[in-house]
Amino acid sequence: MAGLILALETSCDDTCAAVLDGPRVLANTISSQAAAHAQFGGVVPEVASRHHLELATPVVEAALSEAGATLDDVGSVAVTAGPGLIGALLVGVSTAKAIAAPRRLPLIPVDHLQGHVAANFLDPEPLEPPFLCLLASGGHTLLAAVRGHAGHEVLGQTLDDAAGEAFDKVARLLSLGYPGGPALEKLAREGDPAAFEMPVAMSRDPGLDFSFSGLKTALVYLCRDLGPDGVSERRADLAASFQAAAVGQLVAKLERALKGGGWQAVALGGGVAANGPLRGAVREACERNGAALKLVGLELCTDNAAMIGSAARFAEPIPYPGYLAYDAFATPKRAA
Amino acid sequence: MAVVGFDTATADTAVCSTRGGTAMHEERLGLGPDGSPRHSTALLDEVERAAAAIGGWGAVDRIAVGLGPGSFVGIRIAIATARGLAASTGLPMTGVCTLDALGHAAGEAVGPDRACLVVLDARRGEAFAALYSADGSRLWEPFVAAPEELADRVGALPQPPLAVGSGAVRFRDELASRDVEVPGDADPVHRVAARHVCTLAEADDGGDGDRLEPIYLRPPDAQRWRERNDAKTAE
Ligand SMILES: [Zn+2]
Repeated sequence: MAGLILALETSCDDTCAAVLDGPRVLANTISSQAAAHAQFGGVVPEVASRHHLELATPVVEAALSEAGATLDDVGSVAVTAGPGLIGALLVGVSTAKAIAAPRRLPLIPVDHLQGHVAANFLDPEPLEPPFLCLLASGGHTLLAAVRGHAGHEVLGQTLDDAAGEAFDKVARLLSLGYPGGPALEKLAREGDPAAFEMPVAMSRDPGLDFSFSGLKTALVYLCRDLGPDGVSERRADLAASFQAAAVGQLVAKLERALKGGGWQAVALGGGVAANGPLRGAVREACERNGAALKLVGLELCTDNAAMIGSAARFAEPIPYPGYLAYDAFATPKRAA
Repeated sequence: MAVVGFDTATADTAVCSTRGGTAMHEERLGLGPDGSPRHSTALLDEVERAAAAIGGWGAVDRIAVGLGPGSFVGIRIAIATARGLAASTGLPMTGVCTLDALGHAAGEAVGPDRACLVVLDARRGEAFAALYSADGSRLWEPFVAAPEELADRVGALPQPPLAVGSGAVRFRDELASRDVEVPGDADPVHRVAARHVCTLAEADDGGDGDRLEPIYLRPPDAQRWRERNDAKTAE
């Protein structure tokens, strides 16, 4: 079983490790910190970093044992180098480097967003490029052109909040707790998506960028006008109206890219890909434009290390000792 | 016994390997050219050098790591590195309080009959501190305090101690008001030397490999704010 890839991902609030044999995922372990952050209503970087430190090595050990492997079977160590929370990334990068160095294993630093793209390359049904990839999560929202296995071109991205971030903030406004995405979707099912008129953000913008802060602000004002009683009375309508507007924007941009690029396939990823109405609307947009839709399982949509291992298969390994001084990066400073 | 030890709880990146208590390779790197610590970029490189100096990882018996208190990010880089190395090599680990390492070093310099106060700059205008007797044993457990509070505690001592560490330099005036002597700013006694991390780890024969608890001494700011808000709401 030599030559396995051990992958680590600690860019946000989940501590993840995975073991891959080529495109086959032998283990994909995720230790969620959601409960630790719920009391703060969002991810607190220092809290996340502390948890990552406690969980990183145990998660690696759990992934190896689930894969029925030991470090002797590992041929390279992959790790998310960025972008993300710098303190959180540093725990993963320090751990990965220290596991690799004494064994003289190569290190493969991976761009987190390319990881999301590469989730589509995994067995059992890998999607071959070219395809269009829509990523929407609590940390990022972008539309990417995937023309090969080793990288992607960003066609459009959010200019302010990430889509998932907007879902969480609106969920908080409606007292739905954290993380709020799933609760908001559930509540929206009982509401009328046309009950409130929402600003159609970026509709006049000819590009493919997104914006969600205007939508969130509109909700804040609506809640203020309705007052506490009005809000609790119309929560479902508010949730449904917000969700329809957010999904509408994502799909409008996706469809614009589809029309302009002659794409045959679309991949949807990121935590927001779990949202039922978004999945449905993306499916319809694909059908209208004659493109196939690829939906990976939810465990590969949200942050995970299997996707990092998948991206590592097509990235340049750094042989020992070239990575000893390798540093994590918080913002996307390197081309993916 | 051969030990590879390191500490990145302060601005320095301190690394050493010892065999039978003698330093075989010791390095202490200050801030990088950009003015920030070199923990993430220099630590593992120096650790590999230190291991090589005593014959490679196969010749190492123990990994020793500074647990803080100090920079939260620095502490985590050191502990994550120690745990990764231990997972990779199967070697046991020992955690050492960073203040203990400074106190141990200062004890050698101070001589008998004088206590030594170790103070690190904890940012937010606070200090991490602990007090040691001349033989290096702890008189005060590590704590975090505002400099005035620290000065008051020191003022209550029968004899003013010698104070070392980045916090002793930073809060020199507050400490001097209580007749505490602080060596000159450039005196190496203020900086962690990793050979003391190795020495203290060597003395610890019951090192429990998996329990390297970081010594933060302070909850995350978000938790402090939340507790403050809760307290306000309760009032
Ligand atoms: Zn992500």
